[in-house]
Amino acid sequence: MINRNSKILNSLGVALAGLVLVLSPLLPASAARLGTTDALNAAGGVTIQVQALDKLMSDNQTVRFWVWCAGGMGGGGGGMGGCRIAGPILELGVGQRANVSLNVMMAPQESPPYQGHTIHWHGLDVSQTEDGVPETGAAVLGDNYSFSVDSRYVGSHMYHCHVHTVKHLEMGMYAPFIVKAVDGAGNFTNVINSGGPSYDYEWNLMYSSVDPAYHTAVGDSTTFADYNPKYFLINGNEGRSQTAPAETVTAAPGKKVAIRLMGVQSVNTSFEIKNAGGSSQSFTVHNKDGFKLPATQTLTKLDLSPGQTADVMVTLPGTAGSWYPQVTFKNLRNGGSYSNGVVYTRLNF
Amino acid sequence: MQACRQSVVKRIRWLVCQSLVLSFLVVLPHTVYAASYTLYIRSGTHTINGNGGAVLKVWGYTDNSTAAPMVPGPQLQALEGETVTVTVYNQHTIPHNFVVRGITTDTAAIAANSSKTYTFTTPKAGVYLFSDTLNNNINREMGLYGALVVRAAGGVKKAWTGGPSFDLERVWVVSDMDKKNWNDVAGAGGTVSTGTYKPNYFMMNGLGGFDAMHDPNSVLQDTTGKVGLLRIVNAGQFDQSLHFHANHFQIVDKDGTRLSSPEPGDTINVKAGTTAMVLFPLRKGIYPMHIHSAQMETANGVYLNGVATLLVGN
Repeated sequence: MINRNSKILNSLGVALAGLVLVLSPLLPASAARLGTTDALNAAGGVTIQVQALDKLMSDNQTVRFWVWCAGGMGGGGGGMGGCRIAGPILELGVGQRANVSLNVMMAPQESPPYQGHTIHWHGLDVSQTEDGVPETGAAVLGDNYSFSVDSRYVGSHMYHCHVHTVKHLEMGMYAPFIVKAVDGAGNFTNVINSGGPSYDYEWNLMYSSVDPAYHTAVGDSTTFADYNPKYFLINGNEGRSQTAPAETVTAAPGKKVAIRLMGVQSVNTSFEIKNAGGSSQSFTVHNKDGFKLPATQTLTKLDLSPGQTADVMVTLPGTAGSWYPQVTFKNLRNGGSYSNGVVYTRLNF
Repeated sequence: MQACRQSVVKRIRWLVCQSLVLSFLVVLPHTVYAASYTLYIRSGTHTINGNGGAVLKVWGYTDNSTAAPMVPGPQLQALEGETVTVTVYNQHTIPHNFVVRGITTDTAAIAANSSKTYTFTTPKAGVYLFSDTLNNNINREMGLYGALVVRAAGGVKKAWTGGPSFDLERVWVVSDMDKKNWNDVAGAGGTVSTGTYKPNYFMMNGLGGFDAMHDPNSVLQDTTGKVGLLRIVNAGQFDQSLHFHANHFQIVDKDGTRLSSPEPGDTINVKAGTTAMVLFPLRKGIYPMHIHSAQMETANGVYLNGVATLLVGN
């Protein structure tokens, strides 16, 4: 009986170990991640697919998106997950080799010449063969991507489809790609950039804008000549007021939070952090487009144009409260903010 | 459209094949420094080739009294500290002017069928927007803009005297036009309702991406590792967010302000009517540079015929 129980326990142990092994890319880095927690290690062997996602917007209109899903060894042992706007998050350690496959067999897609999908590793400066641009030779019906980056890239980047990007980017095929510093054993460390300060929490905020007409138009439509965004998102969610934020997270008072700002929207933006009384809180800016700035900047407002990223940090007050990081979406002609163009989030501590 | 895309790919491959040839062909539009220029303001048409392209009614500066308007206008070049004289003949039917942003201050009109001579000394090396500032931005939108390039003393390959070095340079004048609401109306003598501006053409040096991706004066191409200086002028009405594949660049100048410590980036927001200069090291291969805002990659909605060119490392 003891032997039998031992065997069962041993089997359970093996099974648990196997589960941990399979799920290990899903485990958070040693700093706590705020918000979505299903980041995958791009070095773990990830398969990306594309699925349609119908999202009910705040005005009861339904908009169809095409979003990334992830599976394979880096995605939990075969099942597809993370199917959402601005997901799934991929991470990669400096000097480690990303191993990502794109499978488009069941993907929603357009007709030729814009059929299929690719992945462009925005900001990672990969070689032409890994760049995901059809016009310079990238395969659109499935591909394997392999690349590594050096310590200059520790920070926030993005990955998105580069087929007929005027439509496909708008459709939702975008997500964060975070490069992490590593220790001697290859484990991720919690520094904002190579040689930079450490953080206790990290929080990804990906901005996007949505013109519903772009979601139904296909091919060479004149619709794509006139961009009229109606919805503004952070991490795929509208957040039109402090009481209905796009995302609410909670961290411990007095801790340092790295906020990773990633702009894949098609209009200009300004990021601010307000307290409950409406006063702007200062933050430090460490990286632009995933590269360390020559000098850290202390600001209360940071503009991010289409395609830019920034890594900022804040130190939370020592007593409990809430801050409201928010993004104002602004038009490209005169910088005026759009109707419903302020998206709120909430950071409790 | 399949044929169009194949055509683009073929053109890009052709570019690779012809890289050596191009390296000899690529010369700056005007390599002789002139202390004086003569410009003519004329009306006419400007063609965007490729799918989605069109013939737009434009007004532009040109360098010949009988030629079609140029969009952008002729590139003016001078050295740091040089005195430049520009004589502008207005051969159009309405008043215009000529202002070099950050250098000249005379905004008075040049009446139709008259001329004016501007004399100024270049304050410092860089790139400047010249344009017609009259008529509530309509004159600039119609095509009356261009770039003044001011090089370091002696014409050496430095961003400015004592500044960072480069191996090759390109001037990128980016812009936009609203054919239906502005160009068609103003070009026919009508009154533009400036409250509405919906640009449907986006240009790199006056070209849609179909042409700009193999235009030797737009494509940045040379031996891998060479450093290119991009002098960027946004002559349009919309801010433009330029995304570079292949490598990060170093921003050395933002709208005339030199950065003592260059800032890195892969995407730069050049606001309407402003300038920037970045240094970009070429990487082996062919990579795009394009605007990262939805419709700006199109010509009237047709993809990849907006603001786009190539970065090519041989």
